Amino acid sequence: MEILRVEDLWKKFKIPHERRTTVFENIVGALQMLGGKTFSYEEFWALKEVSFTVAKGESLGVIGENGSGKSTLLKILARILRPDRGKVQAVGRIAPILELGVGFHPDLTAKENILVYGTIMGLKNSELTKRMDSILQFAALERFRDAKLKNLSSGMQMRLGFSVAIETDPDIFLIDEALAVGDMEFQQKCLSKFKEFKSTGKTMVLVSHALNLVREFCEKTLLLSRGEMVSFGETETVVNEYIRRVQGP
Amino acid sequence: MLRYTELVKSMTIKEFKLRYRNSLFGFLWSLLNPLAMMVILTLVFSTLLRGGMENFPVFLLPALLVWRFFSIGTSMALWSIIGNAPLVTKVYFPRWLLVLSSNLANLVGSTLEFLASLPLLLALGMKLSWLTVLLPAVLAIEFVFIAGVSLPLAALNVYYRDINQIWEITLQAGFFLCPIIYSANLVPSSYALLYSLNPMTRIIESTRKIFYYGTLPAAYDLAVPLLGGLILMMFGYAIFVRLEPRFAEEI
Repeated sequence: MEILRVEDLWKKFKIPHERRTTVFENIVGALQMLGGKTFSYEEFWALKEVSFTVAKGESLGVIGENGSGKSTLLKILARILRPDRGKVQAVGRIAPILELGVGFHPDLTAKENILVYGTIMGLKNSELTKRMDSILQFAALERFRDAKLKNLSSGMQMRLGFSVAIETDPDIFLIDEALAVGDMEFQQKCLSKFKEFKSTGKTMVLVSHALNLVREFCEKTLLLSRGEMVSFGETETVVNEYIRRVQGP
Repeated sequence: MLRYTELVKSMTIKEFKLRYRNSLFGFLWSLLNPLAMMVILTLVFSTLLRGGMENFPVFLLPALLVWRFFSIGTSMALWSIIGNAPLVTKVYFPRWLLVLSSNLANLVGSTLEFLASLPLLLALGMKLSWLTVLLPAVLAIEFVFIAGVSLPLAALNVYYRDINQIWEITLQAGFFLCPIIYSANLVPSSYALLYSLNPMTRIIESTRKIFYYGTLPAAYDLAVPLLGGLILMMFGYAIFVRLEPRFAEEI
């Protein structure tokens, strides 16, 4: 059974040559266009013709150089960006950890943030109150439950994000380089959590430059370069191909 | 819709908390502010200018409160998408819930303002009548109107920040174009029809009839804002859905 299916995905961004954000700038721009000036932005394809499937119980690694479209792909899977073409079919609940955060508000306390995030993920308030302690405990932040998020270090914020995301029982866990800022002890805790998560037959999509992590957790791997799918298949083969490409012939 | 009940609840609480966070007096400001306005305007209109209405504070305060419900509600909702940038760029849920939660937090605030002002109005000589029970209906209709205005404003503000400036001016104009500090009877008859079709004018007139004149609001007092609100909601939602897909990119 497939848990994730991506078909012919294309995503375009516009790179403006002059930024127009106010109405005035737009009116001036429109007048200039009437005067024969060409529209001044470049189209940039962040993803081109990407297709793959992930079977139930499998996990996917996504690798490639900076700017290859890994994070864009993850954001589309998380339904934060909408693709220009193609479609994504996912079975079950998706919890994303993107760019080292899950969407916390700096002025809310740790506890309040857990409640807001948890309800977004579809949990009931009563359930969340029950899980509150174990979330804070996993993040080792019991003492800081009533501290505002902005007063926590970036490592602490990441720990809290990770704990609450995994504690909401997602079916698909999207992780974008999330472990990078955690300390060693927390990284160890995360790795064993990953194993536990995988052993229950759930799916992770791991965007990472840590190839050993991809090797350890992902059956399948997708290699992207400049928005294009270079290869997709068994992790060992794809990772080796990536290493070959980087080191040159 | 029902799926999101818990989410809307927790986001509304969040909005309400954030409104008064880092403030010493907190919610008290919501009462002090209209009170100060009332004192200032009363001083100007019944002492300096004279010719004001009889018992001007009771004439003014209810109108001021429904106007605040509208002006604060829409200007808060204006920022409801941008102000939640961390959520919008990190996790998926229908974005209109942000606008709704902002509007609901404002509804809670305005309801409390009204409740706290009632004793004051009585002390100022207002006679409490059974008509007061109609206030929730008026506020509910105004809520629909506010939501209809908020949806397109919040979406457009993501793309063009000038919406904020434009709206500030619009609200300032609205304050004088609605019968808040003067009576609607003073409007020349040649403008009367146009003037009375303004949904906020109708809302203010309804409130004033309930609290000041002690008469029943007319059917069109409520029908105009309700109809206007529903139409705005339809168009506003259409605009919102069109702009929503690229919120995370434009924010």
